[in-house]
Amino acid sequence: MSDYSIWVCEYSYVPQYHKSGVLYGAHNEGYVKLPYCYVVIKGNGRTVMVDVGYNDKDYGKTLGDRFGVENWRTPKTVLAEVGVTPEEVDTCFITHAHFDHFGNVEDFPNAKFYIQEREIAKWVWAMSLPDRMRWMMIAVDPGDIVRGVNLARDRRLETVNGSVSDVLPGIDLHAADDSHTWGSMWVTVRNDGKAESDDTWVLAGDLIYVFDNLKGSGAAVDAAEDIYTPVGLAVGSQTNLVLATEEMMKQVDYDAKRIIPIHEERLKDVFPSRTTSEGLRITEICLADGEASKVAN
Amino acid sequence: MEQDLFTRLTSVHKPDCELFEGPALAASSPDPDALAATLGTDAAARYAADCHPVYEDLRRIVGQISGMMILAQLTRRSAVADLKELEGCRERWQRAADRLHALRVPSELTAHHEQLMGAHSFSGSALRGFSALSANGNNDAIFDDISRHVQRAYAHLRAATADRAGLQMVDLDHACCSCGR
Repeated sequence: MSDYSIWVCEYSYVPQYHKSGVLYGAHNEGYVKLPYCYVVIKGNGRTVMVDVGYNDKDYGKTLGDRFGVENWRTPKTVLAEVGVTPEEVDTCFITHAHFDHFGNVEDFPNAKFYIQEREIAKWVWAMSLPDRMRWMMIAVDPGDIVRGVNLARDRRLETVNGSVSDVLPGIDLHAADDSHTWGSMWVTVRNDGKAESDDTWVLAGDLIYVFDNLKGSGAAVDAAEDIYTPVGLAVGSQTNLVLATEEMMKQVDYDAKRIIPIHEERLKDVFPSRTTSEGLRITEICLADGEASKVAN
Repeated sequence: MEQDLFTRLTSVHKPDCELFEGPALAASSPDPDALAATLGTDAAARYAADCHPVYEDLRRIVGQISGMMILAQLTRRSAVADLKELEGCRERWQRAADRLHALRVPSELTAHHEQLMGAHSFSGSALRGFSALSANGNNDAIFDDISRHVQRAYAHLRAATADRAGLQMVDLDHACCSCGR
């Protein structure tokens, strides 16, 4: 029995991203394609997003001109590929406050947004720091905080203090303090609804960018087996990223395939996928009972 | 003992606050010659260079006010008006006023300067709103005013954004879109 369908939906991408950003220590190892994606979870009468992407109106030109970000499409276009409209989305879990995850709340007018309260509090703190410390504000748009004001006023912003079980039936939020960001979180779906689930999926946000974060080469530390190699970009610590990885792996009984990294181009090699007419990928992680595939021919 | 939401949100950073009690370091400024090549004239380049600290101040002010508004709305506490961060934000706002009025504005860039002035004026209105919060009364109308003002300030600041002059709303240089170009 599966309660939820899960799709990873690409909405834009960077053709060449330096590998050391996704994999700690991978200096001078060239570039990888970095897809920008969000996740749709549908079932139990709910339509849920994990992250909401960014708004091309505000960032598109800069991202295109400076960083070669290509092919941005609206949530309306992207979600139509899995039979969902932005208006249907009732819940959005924001894994962290970077612009490409929290930068498009306006397109989800009926959703309630969940974010770690530490993420908000620490960004406010960072804004108050001396200019010499502005590195800590990387990738944060004050505009996203401005939009958060509206969400709070409309009672559509829910701050979460640490880890929470069953925020929706079978869906848990897990905090990873001082890791990729100060208040990052991941989303765990227990798809059979059981407390001790045999069908668990972890939606990792930016705590895991690519498969190599889960199965890095042990040669780097003279280990015979694979090791966790953390993400390169972190305002917290790589230690905390490794500890969060271990916690995620425990949740899926060390079956790495069940941890979903949304910036991983090779998801299509592991899960059923298709490329849309817009040149963007839809990956089907699992299907709820009775749900038709959105990637089958 | 479990702390309440207001305490958690306002004290999460306190252990490292002592780090910032020393005097500020001298700030580096952008190279005006490099900007002149980009912008065309020496006067425009000088203006753009002088704008950097003003723009950064306003960006921070808008971010801080918004964050404190979220905090106030989530907790329904007027005590946000007593936070040290709010006082720091007011000081930054005053500093921005001094810098803004000291700018030498080339005639062709007066519209840009007016956008900065707008962002500063509306963020000032938002800041004054915090002083009106009442410990016992219903503050919804004041929250609405502050929200409206900070959104207007942000709109003006967005209009003053000029990537080629280095006036950017988001530092993307090390973000997950940067490919090292």
